[in-house]
Amino acid sequence: MNLKDYLKDKLINILILLLSYFIVFLLLIAFKVKISLILVITFIFLITNTLLIMGDYYKKKKFYNNILNNINKLDKAYLVLETINKPEFYEGKIVYQILYEINKSMCENVNLIEEQLLDFKDYIEMWIHEVKRPLASLSLTLNNNKLLDIKLKSILKNLEDYLEQVLYYVRCENAASDYYIKEVDLGNIIKNVGIRNMDDLLNNKVDFKVEKINLKVYTDSKWLEFILNQIINNSIKYKKGKNSYIKISAIDNVDTIKLIIEDNGIGIPKSDIKEVFKKTFTGENGRIVPSATGMGLYIAKNLCSKLGHKIEIESIFNEYTRVSITFAKNKFYDVLK
Amino acid sequence: MSKIMIIEDDEVLSLELKELLTLNGYEVELVKDFKNTIDAILNYNPDLLLLDINIPYLNGEVILQNLRKKSNVPVIMVTSRNTDMDEALSISLGADDYITKPYNPNILLLRINAILKRVNRISNIINYKTLIINTQNGTIKNQDKEIILTKNEMIIFAYLLNNKDKIVKRDELMTSLWNNEEFINDNALTVNISRLRSKLFKLGYNNIIETRKGQGYIIS
Repeated sequence: MNLKDYLKDKLINILILLLSYFIVFLLLIAFKVKISLILVITFIFLITNTLLIMGDYYKKKKFYNNILNNINKLDKAYLVLETINKPEFYEGKIVYQILYEINKSMCENVNLIEEQLLDFKDYIEMWIHEVKRPLASLSLTLNNNKLLDIKLKSILKNLEDYLEQVLYYVRCENAASDYYIKEVDLGNIIKNVGIRNMDDLLNNKVDFKVEKINLKVYTDSKWLEFILNQIINNSIKYKKGKNSYIKISAIDNVDTIKLIIEDNGIGIPKSDIKEVFKKTFTGENGRIVPSATGMGLYIAKNLCSKLGHKIEIESIFNEYTRVSITFAKNKFYDVLK
Repeated sequence: MSKIMIIEDDEVLSLELKELLTLNGYEVELVKDFKNTIDAILNYNPDLLLLDINIPYLNGEVILQNLRKKSNVPVIMVTSRNTDMDEALSISLGADDYITKPYNPNILLLRINAILKRVNRISNIINYKTLIINTQNGTIKNQDKEIILTKNEMIIFAYLLNNKDKIVKRDELMTSLWNNEEFINDNALTVNISRLRSKLFKLGYNNIIETRKGQGYIIS
């Protein structure tokens, strides 16, 4: 709120005031009042009216500027009402009341939607756990009857992977995520992901080269397994011709541990590399592989940022793709040990 | 023969589990009445318990908690809940391992075997005919002759010996190798098996590892 615009807004009031003063002035002249008295009257008129206008201006300025400032400072602008005092002047009270009503109705709406979302999340989680039962029965039945061949195994694994993707999508989109951070052995996690993808790797003749990794990181092991699974799935999906490999190594830095997953697949075109973590982005490579959903890396990135890990990707088209995940070494935990 | 008890309310799944374990040489009992699960466990006195979390009446975690007051039987939790939090809770209540559904049958068998081995303190020495196999230091002795196996060869040989008289699929050998962080490919497995055979030949044992075409390998 600035003075110039305020005065512009009050222009008609000011003009009427001036007009009335001018009429009084003419009357005073007409009644031949002494010039000194006219000057005193003029002076009093000017002082009182200026004080009235400026008083009104500062009162409103204080109220509105306070709101505007606070709105700019808050990351959730709708909380602004909590930061201001209820104004004393009539107009301000109305504005305050309006803001209050709007806010209340919006909060009720948001709560309702949050509740629905949470219900939906719970339902999806429950549903996925339910589906895993018949899936487990199916895979055991096929296995016991010696029907579980390479083809069926791969179909079952696809089913499992897609189910899990939904589960983690729901988890990563939700504010109240249920992760559990503890010290885990990186080598063990890689082993689990390796075994999980063993059939796919062997059938696609992709060599799984893992350097001896004797490092521990702070993370949620299930989440990290899911993230690595997405990366390895991609490497298998986008492999290139013969002698394909996935190489996993880790670098132990002073205050970080960097896990690197590198493949010699088809790589990612330069124009696409910045977009790969975006939701439903499939890009050039998505046209080659029909089953690309564009969700895997998006969810992986989302989970990483929740866990406080940094995930990066670099690639040269037709040569390699290198994904790295950086874990912070937490000195706080070391002190606790 | 080790006795395993399965506590799982999904009938199809529990019957298939029973079949899988029976085929692999375990004696298996299913719990059918979930009202007195703990008594049933104590009565049967199994060597290992496979316990689902979502079962009627008391859930698996409560059963485990109550069971631990009376028994130290090894327990593997088998569940479709897959968060670290659930796992940590089960382990803190005294579970020995935690496997999520749907599981790889080979992995389930490996985990069961690992726990039974740990609990029963099965020694690192396996005897086969006149051979003495030490899985710890990777040696095979035949009277005064001794040869050293590589880690991979030993994993393969030990797995075949532990499944004597049974056809072992390549897939099972692979899982066992990968489970020991030896992520080898198909060619390497073939090479390892032929090296193992030639080492055994040096000790005077020709063709103890038979190939069953399209099925796998067998030691009898």
